[in-house]
Amino acid sequence: MRKKRILRPPVFRLAACTAGCALAFAAAAQQLPDLGSSTAPWKVDVYYDNHTAFRGKDHTGERVGLSKFRNTLQLEADKDLGDDWAFRGILRGTWDGVHRMNKGQYGNSAGGAVMLQSTTPGGYIETPHGAGPVNKELVDGLGLTNNAFVSGAGYRNSPNEGLRVLGDRLHDTDGGVAFGVPVRPCDKDKRGCRDFGGYGDRTLSELEAPEFNDRLDFIREAYVRKNFALDDGTDLFLKIGKQQVVWGRTDLFRVLDVINPVDYSRNNIYDELQDIRIPMWMVQAEWRMGPSESMQDRNFQIVWNFDKFRPNNLGQCGSPNAILDAGCFFRGMANLWDNGGTVANFANVAPGTLLATNFGPGQIGLRDVDLPSWSLANTQIGAKFEGITQSGLAFSLNALYYRSQLPSLRGGKRTTNGFTGEYSEHNPYLISFDMHFPRVKLLGGSLDFQSETLGAAFRFEGAMSWGEEFSNTARPGLYSKNRVWRSVIGIDRPTFIPFLNPHRTTLISAQLFWQHIFDHEYYSTGTKNGQNYLGAVGMPDWKDSYIGTLLIKSFMMNDRLSPELIIARDFKARATAIAPAVEWSLTDNLKLSFGGNFKVGTGARRFDDCRACNPWMPFTAPDGDPDPMTPYSRGLAGFEPLGRFRAGPIGSAMYEDEVYFKLRYQF
Amino acid sequence: MNKTIIAAALLGLSLAAQAATEAELQASFNPYQNGFPSHPGLSVGTVINQGNVDQFKDVVPDGVYKLLKDGLFEIKVGPTTQFELSSAYVEATRRNLGKARLGPNSGDLEGFEGGRPFVEEPDIEDPRAGEKLAWNYKYGVNWGDGANITPFYWKYRNMATGQLERTIQFSFHFLNLKHRVKDDPVPEVTPNPSNLFRGIYVKVDAPQDLKNTQLLIQRYDDDQKLDDAYLYLGFQRRVRRLATGQTTDAFLGSDLMIEDFEGYNGRISDMKWTYKGTKNVILPMWNHNELALSDEFKDPDGFKYVGFGGQGECFHQGTWQLRKVYVLEAAPVNSAHPVSKRVFYMDAQLGNLNGANEIYDRKGDLWKVFMVGKSHADHHLPINKGSGIGIDDAFSMIDVQARHCTTGHFKGQVDPKQNPPRMFQAQYMRGGD
Repeated sequence: MRKKRILRPPVFRLAACTAGCALAFAAAAQQLPDLGSSTAPWKVDVYYDNHTAFRGKDHTGERVGLSKFRNTLQLEADKDLGDDWAFRGILRGTWDGVHRMNKGQYGNSAGGAVMLQSTTPGGYIETPHGAGPVNKELVDGLGLTNNAFVSGAGYRNSPNEGLRVLGDRLHDTDGGVAFGVPVRPCDKDKRGCRDFGGYGDRTLSELEAPEFNDRLDFIREAYVRKNFALDDGTDLFLKIGKQQVVWGRTDLFRVLDVINPVDYSRNNIYDELQDIRIPMWMVQAEWRMGPSESMQDRNFQIVWNFDKFRPNNLGQCGSPNAILDAGCFFRGMANLWDNGGTVANFANVAPGTLLATNFGPGQIGLRDVDLPSWSLANTQIGAKFEGITQSGLAFSLNALYYRSQLPSLRGGKRTTNGFTGEYSEHNPYLISFDMHFPRVKLLGGSLDFQSETLGAAFRFEGAMSWGEEFSNTARPGLYSKNRVWRSVIGIDRPTFIPFLNPHRTTLISAQLFWQHIFDHEYYSTGTKNGQNYLGAVGMPDWKDSYIGTLLIKSFMMNDRLSPELIIARDFKARATAIAPAVEWSLTDNLKLSFGGNFKVGTGARRFDDCRACNPWMPFTAPDGDPDPMTPYSRGLAGFEPLGRFRAGPIGSAMYEDEVYFKLRYQF
Repeated sequence: MNKTIIAAALLGLSLAAQAATEAELQASFNPYQNGFPSHPGLSVGTVINQGNVDQFKDVVPDGVYKLLKDGLFEIKVGPTTQFELSSAYVEATRRNLGKARLGPNSGDLEGFEGGRPFVEEPDIEDPRAGEKLAWNYKYGVNWGDGANITPFYWKYRNMATGQLERTIQFSFHFLNLKHRVKDDPVPEVTPNPSNLFRGIYVKVDAPQDLKNTQLLIQRYDDDQKLDDAYLYLGFQRRVRRLATGQTTDAFLGSDLMIEDFEGYNGRISDMKWTYKGTKNVILPMWNHNELALSDEFKDPDGFKYVGFGGQGECFHQGTWQLRKVYVLEAAPVNSAHPVSKRVFYMDAQLGNLNGANEIYDRKGDLWKVFMVGKSHADHHLPINKGSGIGIDDAFSMIDVQARHCTTGHFKGQVDPKQNPPRMFQAQYMRGGD
C-alpha cells in the first residue's frame, strides 16, 4: 500500500500532464497570437558570414584547391506579440561559389573518363568504364546467349565521362570492388541522381544555394512561444513552429541530441551543431513543475515532430562534404541500377583472376528510396523528464520514437540475372538494394555534477536504441537490426596554464564516446561454418567502438583572441583528426577565424564486399568454390563499399585535410 | 523576597543586555548618529587628483590612491549622506537580535533567521571578527529580496588608448529564496528542498557572438556547500554545468570574474577573513539624479546612465563621500586561487563590500581595483524609491597590470515582478531561444 502511495501520484501527474498538454495545445491554438496585432517593435539582426577553405592533394595526388567559398546571409528577427507570446524567426541564405570557382573538382567539369581494374596473376590491368573484360560478348561465348551483360563496346546511356572511381580520393582500388561514379551536378549529369532525403538529386544552383528548396530551408527557424502560469504555481511552456530541440549534455556526439537531423553537407562534422541541425516543424510543451519537497527542479517535456520526415544530409557526390563518401556510394549504386556499369575486380573466373564486369541495368545497385511520406503515423514523438536533486545532481530521462536519420540499405532484392537474363524478385545476398529509414525507439538519460575536489564538471549521457539497421554480409538481406548502446562521459576542467594566460584558465574538456552493438555478428576467416574461407564476414561496424575527444581552449586579450585545439581519435579506426583554430573578435561586429583540420592514422579499411556472395549461383561462385550452388558470402574483401564503416568519418576523410578562413560580420 | 530580588536582578540584567544590543543595532544601521565624519581639507566640492592626493591619503582606499597618484582620474567629493536601509530588514534584525552565532568552523553560522547577523562593532581582538562581517555581507540587503539590472552594459576598454573593445548588454536578476524580509513570500520561497539561499540569473542580449548566453548561480544557505552554476551557451543551445574554477575566470572576457560580482560572490568558507580595523574613507556614493548623466544608451524610458571619464574613459564620474568603513581582508583558502588577497572597504551602514576593492594576484601584487558607485534609492528610478537599498549605479574594474578596464552601466530596478522564482531554475535557461 505504502509503495503505491509513493509510486502512483507521479504516474497520475505525468498522465495528467500528457492530457493537460493536449488540452493546452488546443487552448494554445485558440490563443495563438496575431503576428500583426502587436505594436512591439521587431528586433532584427543581420549577419554576413564567409567561409573559405582549401584542401591539399587527395589520394590520387591531385591538388583539390578551393573546397569552400560559402557566403551566408542570416537574418534573425524577434517580436513580442502581446499576451506573453513571442515570435522568433531565422532566415538563412547561402551561396557557395566553390562549384563554379573550382568546377573541375565540384562543378560541371568534375570527373572524366575512368579506368577500372582487373586482377590477373600477372598483376593489375585497367580497362575503361564500359570495356570490362567480362561482358556480353564474353558470356555469349560461354553459350549463355541470353545473358544480360553489356557489350564491351560500352554504355550508350552511361558514357565514360564525368566519372570518378568510387573512393579514389581515399584509396587505390587495390584488387577490390570499384565502379565509376558520376560526380557532376544533376542538371549537368542525371546519372544516379535520386532524392536520398534532401540530397542526391541537386542541380548546380541547388548545390550553390542549398536553402532555396521545396522544404523552404531558407526559413531556418520560425516559432512562437509562451509560458502559461498554471493555477497550482507551475508553468506550461509552449514552443510551436520550425525549431531545433536539443537534448543531452555532450559536445560533438549525438547520443540524445537526435531529434533534429543534421546537414553534414555544410561542413562535414566541423560546424557547430546549431548551424547544421535541420530545423523541423515541431511542438514542444514543457510542464515546469519547479521544486518539490524532494527535488530542486522538475520538468516534463513532450516533443511532437509533426514535420515530414527528413534524414541527415550526407552530402551529394561531387560536392566537397560527402561524409563517409556515402553520397558517392549511393549515387554510384543508383547509376548501376539505372544504367549498369563496369565493376572492377568482380568476376573470379580463374585462380588469382578477378575481372572487371560490365553489368547491365536492373541487375545490381540501388533502386528505390523509401522516404516516408507525411502521415500522422509517420510523425515522431519524444518525452523527457529533467530534474535536479536536492544535492544538485542534474539528470534527464529521455524517450523518443522516431526514424533513423541514417539510411539502411536492404539488399537481396530484385534482379535480372546477368547470366541467364531471368528476372526474380528475391535474391539472397545480392547487392540489389532499396534504401529505408527504419523506425527506432530510444530510451536514454543524462546527468551532470561537479567535483569540488577535482575542480571539474562531469557529464554523462547514454541511450539504448531498438530498430537501427546495419550492414551485415552474414545475412541474406545484407543488413540486420540491432540494439545499440551509445554513451559519452565528459569532463570539463578549467586549468591554469600560466604561459598561456596567468590570470585566466584554459578550458580542458575531454570526452569518451562508446558505442556497443548488441548481437553483433562478425566471423573472422573460416569461422562461419567454414563458409567464409576468403575472409571475415558480418557487420563492418565495430562491435565496440570508442572515440575520444580533447578540447583545449585558451582565452587571451579579454577573450577577444581564443586559440583552441580539438583532437578526436577514433580508436578502432586508428584515425585521428586534429583541428587547431584561432578566433579573433576585432570588434563586437566583426569576428575572424583561422584554422584547419588534419587527419593522421589509418585511412581506408577493408571489409567483405560481397563479391563472393554467389547470388547468381553457380555463375558467381568463386573459382573452385566447394559449394557453388549456395549463396552466402565467402568473405572476399576490398576497400569498397563497406570499408567506410570501419574507417569512420575521420578515417574516410583522411585525404581531406583543410585550412580555412572565416569572417562573420553583424550589420 | 529573595526570589523576587533575584528575578528582578535577572530581568534587569536581561533588559540591560537587550538595551545594549538595541543600541548596537541603532549604531550599526546609523553609524552617523553623532554626525558625519570629516577630514581636514576635505569638503563638498573638493577635487582629489594626482596633485593633492597625498593630502588625503588617510581617507583614500589604497587601490584608489594608486590610481589617483598615477593620474588616471580625479574624484569630486560630495556630501556624506544617509543610506537608510529597508525598515523591513532593520526590523528583521531586531527580531532576531543576538540569535546568530558562529559555528566551530569558518562557514558555520548557527541560529540565524534574518536581518543583519552581527550588529556589534567588530573587535580587532576578535580573531573571527572578519568572518562576522563577511556574514553581515552575505545576509546583507545587497539587492534586497529581489531586483534586476536591465539593461546592464559592460564596456571593455584599453585603458592606455581608450579603445572600446567590446560592449556587452546584459540583464542581471537577483532573488533571495531564504531570509526574505520584505516582498512576499516572507521569509522563504517554498518549496526549497535544496535549502538555497539566493539565485543570480544573467542573460546576454548583445553582441552577436555572446547573444543568449545565460548564467545561473544557485547559492546554498549552507555555506559549506559549493554553489551550483550553470551556463547556457546560445550557440550550443544547451545548459552546461560550470566547474568550480570557472567562477574565478574572466567572465566572458571582462575584467571581472564571477567571484567578483557584487564585491564578493563566493562562500564565506572559501576565504580566511581578517578584520583590519575601522576607518573613514571616501567611497563612490551619490544621488543619481543629481549627477551629470550620459544619454549614450538612448534608453526608451528616458533613463540616463552615469557618465564615465578619466584615463581611457574607465572611471565613473559620480561623486565620492566620506564614509565609515570596516577594512576587511579575504585570503583564499585554496592556494590555486588566482587571487592571493582581496581588501574590502565595507560600508558600515550598508554592509556592502564593493565600494573600492583591491584584488591582489598570486604573487601579491595589486592586480585590480573594483569601484562600484551607489545611488540612494530615493534619488534613482521611481520604482526604487523607498526600497532602502544602495542602488549599484556604475562600476569601474581597473586591471592595473594590463592597463585595461571594464566599466558597468546599470539600470537597477527593485521590482519583484521582474524576478519570479522560475527564472532561477536551470530549466528556465532552456526555455528561450
